[in-house]
Amino acid sequence: MISKMVECPKCKTQFTVKGEPGEKIPVTCPNCNLKGNFFITDEKKRFIGEDVIVISDLRKKFKDVVAVDGASFSVKKGEVFGFLGPNGAGKTTTIKAMLGLIHMNFGKVTINGLDINKDYIKIKNDLGFLPERVSFYENLTPIQTLNFFCELKGVNKEVVPKLISDVGLDDAKNRKVGTFSKGMVQLLGFAQVQIGNPSVYILDEPMSGLDARWVKIIREKIKSLNQQGATVMFSSHILSEVEALCNRVAIINKGKIIAQDNISNLNKYLKIMPRMEIKISGLNGKVPEFIKKIETVKDVYVKKDSLYLTCDSSIRSMIISELEKAGYKIIDFRTFEPSLEDAFIKLIEGDK
Amino acid sequence: MDGFNFKSLYTIAKKEFLDNIRNKWVILLTILFIILIIVFSYVAGAGSEDTFGGMQSTVFGLLGISSLLIPLIAIILGFSTISGEAESGALNVVLSYPVRRIEILLGKLIGLGTVISFSVLIGFGLGGIVIAMTVGPESWVGYFGFILLSMFLGFIYLSLAICVSAYCKRRITSIGGGIIIFFWSLIYGTVMIAVLYAAGGSFQDFLGGKIPDWFFNSVVFSPSDLYQTAVQRAFGVVTIEQAGFSVAIPDFLDWPVLLSSQIIWFMVPLVLAYFFFKRRDI
Repeated sequence: MISKMVECPKCKTQFTVKGEPGEKIPVTCPNCNLKGNFFITDEKKRFIGEDVIVISDLRKKFKDVVAVDGASFSVKKGEVFGFLGPNGAGKTTTIKAMLGLIHMNFGKVTINGLDINKDYIKIKNDLGFLPERVSFYENLTPIQTLNFFCELKGVNKEVVPKLISDVGLDDAKNRKVGTFSKGMVQLLGFAQVQIGNPSVYILDEPMSGLDARWVKIIREKIKSLNQQGATVMFSSHILSEVEALCNRVAIINKGKIIAQDNISNLNKYLKIMPRMEIKISGLNGKVPEFIKKIETVKDVYVKKDSLYLTCDSSIRSMIISELEKAGYKIIDFRTFEPSLEDAFIKLIEGDK
Repeated sequence: MDGFNFKSLYTIAKKEFLDNIRNKWVILLTILFIILIIVFSYVAGAGSEDTFGGMQSTVFGLLGISSLLIPLIAIILGFSTISGEAESGALNVVLSYPVRRIEILLGKLIGLGTVISFSVLIGFGLGGIVIAMTVGPESWVGYFGFILLSMFLGFIYLSLAICVSAYCKRRITSIGGGIIIFFWSLIYGTVMIAVLYAAGGSFQDFLGGKIPDWFFNSVVFSPSDLYQTAVQRAFGVVTIEQAGFSVAIPDFLDWPVLLSSQIIWFMVPLVLAYFFFKRRDI
């Protein structure tokens, strides 16, 4: 049992929460009664420290096409790192070059301080990789498949039944993999990456093409791996997933890294302001005149009894009090913080 | 740089064996080998006191078919072993493990080669036992040589097929490469006869056994023809008597030449396969 001091995001009151590492605890602010959940992380395991993966000036050209153009970024120990980019941006090529699956034209990749070109055997002893298009041998069963990978890594095969059970493939453990659905193959892939309990996971589009049920399972698996202390780098098109899971992101477009930071910082330096929805009694579709005159307020419109606007966080309370002073009866208001998607779209559009 | 890991090679070979031993073509071929041996032995025994013919006559009758079937199954097993797995994504996963490309390549060769050898051993071995039990085990040394040379023929064509697979980017293009290799083994004899005629030879000369040495020596350019000649040597035959003509196998085609030519046919594609595979982007 550990105690954590938390701060209410609304009234800033500080209070103590107790629980086990990894536990999700329902909390209510003693001052303003705001309800929410607090996730207690294991500080020892979740320590985010030195760079585990370092990519320096990576370049790869296929004939006349530059797939990766001087990409540089790093992933820190214990973090979940999102690697984002539109289709054809160079994500998979970068990941494959990181693993030595394709030969880079220039640049350096180190994982756990080892150079992929010199120490790839040592690197791969402590690495789990799930490719974008995961595929296994069709005539083998999941048990035979995982036994094969255990042997390649020199890991005791006793772990196989548990790995299969953990991903919910118990009922299919004696079926040939060739008869599996895409989701089942992906789950088997997830069992496969955990062989040898590596400290670094590289997952290329792990949720691509899966339905909501499988996405949820995979998301929980990623969280679980990270809570056990692993460093996870994954690429994805599903921005909400990246936002929910990642500490930091790198965004790649046309082979170049165009941003690398934590999500809130990305929004800050891109100056993406939060949006507000203010529900006002009797608004009748008219935008209050004084709102239009505030310079930092943008994208103002009214829909039924709701006023929508984009503004800096610092003037939110001023807008509310000005509306009240003007005689408007505020029923409710909500703030939408800028999402990773907003940052992603702005970056990609800016790059065009 | 770490050293070569024989355990990884063994693991890959075992996986290839398990994954392919249940291949329907392999099972079909094994059954076909048994049937062919018995049928050809029965045909060879026609007109004699015994129901079945001897080992030598059976094998010589079968040689033309086995020199096509073994390459065919080797090509079927090997043509997409790298290009197909690279395309499907299976190779991505394997290469993310602590295993070298040379270990994968040799593991595949040994695993798939064992599948073919297994098929040859069961098919021809069982057939040989049936003949030995009915007619007697005369020429058993030659028959044993025939089985070994058949296995090695499988390895040679596997080496060629894996080379094509390592070179071709896509599975569909490696199918084309596999077909070319097979047709080379199929039409090589006909091509050489055409060359013989073009060089002034005639059908009468051919039937009369007046065949220039270069024609015979050209078997070194075809693994299937090398195999047939080597099997004849294994039975101690120095003169081929077939289809109404009789020709002596030239002294040039002795065991060292036959075996070294086969080893070259095995090694060169294998070295090229490693070169292509090592440079390949997966």
